[in-house]
Amino acid sequence: MAWITKNSGTMQIDRRDEPYLTDEIKQKLEDEVVPRYDTRMAVTMPALHLVQDTHGWLPQQAIEEIAEFLGLTASQVLDTATFYEEYWLKPHGKYVIWVCQSLSCELLGQQGLTQQIGEHLGIGPGETTEDGKFTLMSVECLGSCGTAPCALVNHKLHENITADNFQKVLDALE
Amino acid sequence: MTGRTHENDPMTILKEPVLTKRIPTHPFGDPADRKVVSYKQYVKTDGYKGLGNALAMDPKDVVDLVKAAEVRGRGGAGFPAGMKWSFLPPEDGGRRYLAINSDESEPGTFKDRLLIDFDPHIIIEGIAICMHACRLDTAYFYIRGEYHHQREVFEAAIKEAYDNKVLGKDSRLGKINDRWPDLFLHRGAGAYVCGEETALLESIEGKRGWPRIKPPFPAVAGAFGRPTIINNVETLAVCAPILERGEDGPTWFQSMGTQRPEGAPPHVPASFGPKLYGVSGHVNRPGVYEEELGITLKDLIEGLCQGMRGGKKFKTAIPGGISTGVLSTEDYDVKLDFDITKYDTLGLGTAGVIVMDEDTCMVGVARNIARFFGHESCGQCTPCREGTNWMAKMLARIEAGDGTTRDLDLLLEIAGSMGALPSGRGATICGLADGANWAIRTIVNKFWSEFEAKVSKQRYVSLSVVGG
Repeated sequence: MAWITKNSGTMQIDRRDEPYLTDEIKQKLEDEVVPRYDTRMAVTMPALHLVQDTHGWLPQQAIEEIAEFLGLTASQVLDTATFYEEYWLKPHGKYVIWVCQSLSCELLGQQGLTQQIGEHLGIGPGETTEDGKFTLMSVECLGSCGTAPCALVNHKLHENITADNFQKVLDALE
Repeated sequence: MTGRTHENDPMTILKEPVLTKRIPTHPFGDPADRKVVSYKQYVKTDGYKGLGNALAMDPKDVVDLVKAAEVRGRGGAGFPAGMKWSFLPPEDGGRRYLAINSDESEPGTFKDRLLIDFDPHIIIEGIAICMHACRLDTAYFYIRGEYHHQREVFEAAIKEAYDNKVLGKDSRLGKINDRWPDLFLHRGAGAYVCGEETALLESIEGKRGWPRIKPPFPAVAGAFGRPTIINNVETLAVCAPILERGEDGPTWFQSMGTQRPEGAPPHVPASFGPKLYGVSGHVNRPGVYEEELGITLKDLIEGLCQGMRGGKKFKTAIPGGISTGVLSTEDYDVKLDFDITKYDTLGLGTAGVIVMDEDTCMVGVARNIARFFGHESCGQCTPCREGTNWMAKMLARIEAGDGTTRDLDLLLEIAGSMGALPSGRGATICGLADGANWAIRTIVNKFWSEFEAKVSKQRYVSLSVVGG
């Protein structure tokens, strides 16, 4: 739920010397994204996306670096990052499977499907396999109701899925 | 793809495809032939003619033309687009924005995706027409985060538009507010509430998507505090074919759709023009179809969708995304236009029709919908934040067989006490709770016996007594 945030006042932050917001990303943002908006704050979402697309998820250190780069406080960036479901504030598996659980997909058998996928992988929704390969998520509408049930595997959409054809998709992943 | 290929299909009204002119769709073409329409192909098929006509006109006249056509917003509320455009204050030399709402996140809605996937230039043409008409210099295309492929297609189309001087430096629109017109894609990150216009603006500004209190309306103080127009993708796209026909545009547009309801006062708009219907659920051939506003649900299901799946009987349908509520089983031949509110629904919404057959458990449907709204509530207003999740918990309990008759009354009471409309006591800032309110109330009321059969009897005690 978008509006639940955790108390971060006493949180230990893991740090590394190498920045997440590399000079290269900074340059790209400064050249291509900053001129698009009237405020630097508006660059928050593109910056979070860019760091996440590069690193896979958003460590607290990255949040702080983005805040510094945009002239904001870390809490402002964290506020935005915690609101949106797509931003990962903790690591996830190499492949994230987002199974749509909204009405059209449920009408066409999503519940059994999620269960079968979960059993196949040995995890439930919200969990990651031990080898760190798959994370299974139950999410709300993916905008593919006409080809329900559907699921995203990272950025790729799979439509009209059945337990059989989807297992083949998963098995084919490295 | 030319002409009608469906002479034997008496159930379709639309004579020629408009929005799907370049996207093969039943009954005019085969979806298997779909591919992305490039700038070149778009221009070859009369594309950007509408923009050319618009540029030859005074901006004010373009607004008047769209007003005369009575184009109603295709994103949910059905607000007349021309009227929205005329709410802008006079130019003052500062920036003025256009935000295109492509945060298509409502369950049952997948119509804009079709345009973005295959004919992005009809959207860009509509955007350019609107920027010229309303004197807007910067446009943000707010696309939902989950549309990864669509994002790539649209980025490529924007690049083509820049290369061909539709937008950007030396644009054929000329300088607006002393700036070359720009169109940027802004990627959302998974939040249904950002489809609400002011939440969308907050999101563009880099903040959490919390809807703003209105007034001030976005036309006066929107993105970055500047005048902003927010339109749905399909609303802008449909402006291109209207302008393409120049002065005849409004008459042509009004030759499709339904007239204003009989006896309605003149300020009540009619439902004109073509509309994309996204049909999903228990039908044989789900998908996005273009039809005239006012096609009946029966014709849509039995014609374009080739009937109910497995020969089952129709039970109910949601007319336009889950927030609009459900129709009763008797309303099978209801006309799908903006006047659908008289069938005790919230409206046509996005025309994302979800069809359910006789085997569907309505308690499960209500539980699914309540969970969606509970999950997507932004948490700003207490009645919505608490109410939606409370309903979701209750419905899960009822479905499991642990509910009582008291729960059903309580459910209706909670649902009826949230929302921005009078039906929700004006208790919230935005319409998200109205959706939860209407969806749950209509399902429980119209399928009361199913709910009653699931619960055990217990006397109802009003909330006020429980609270005291």
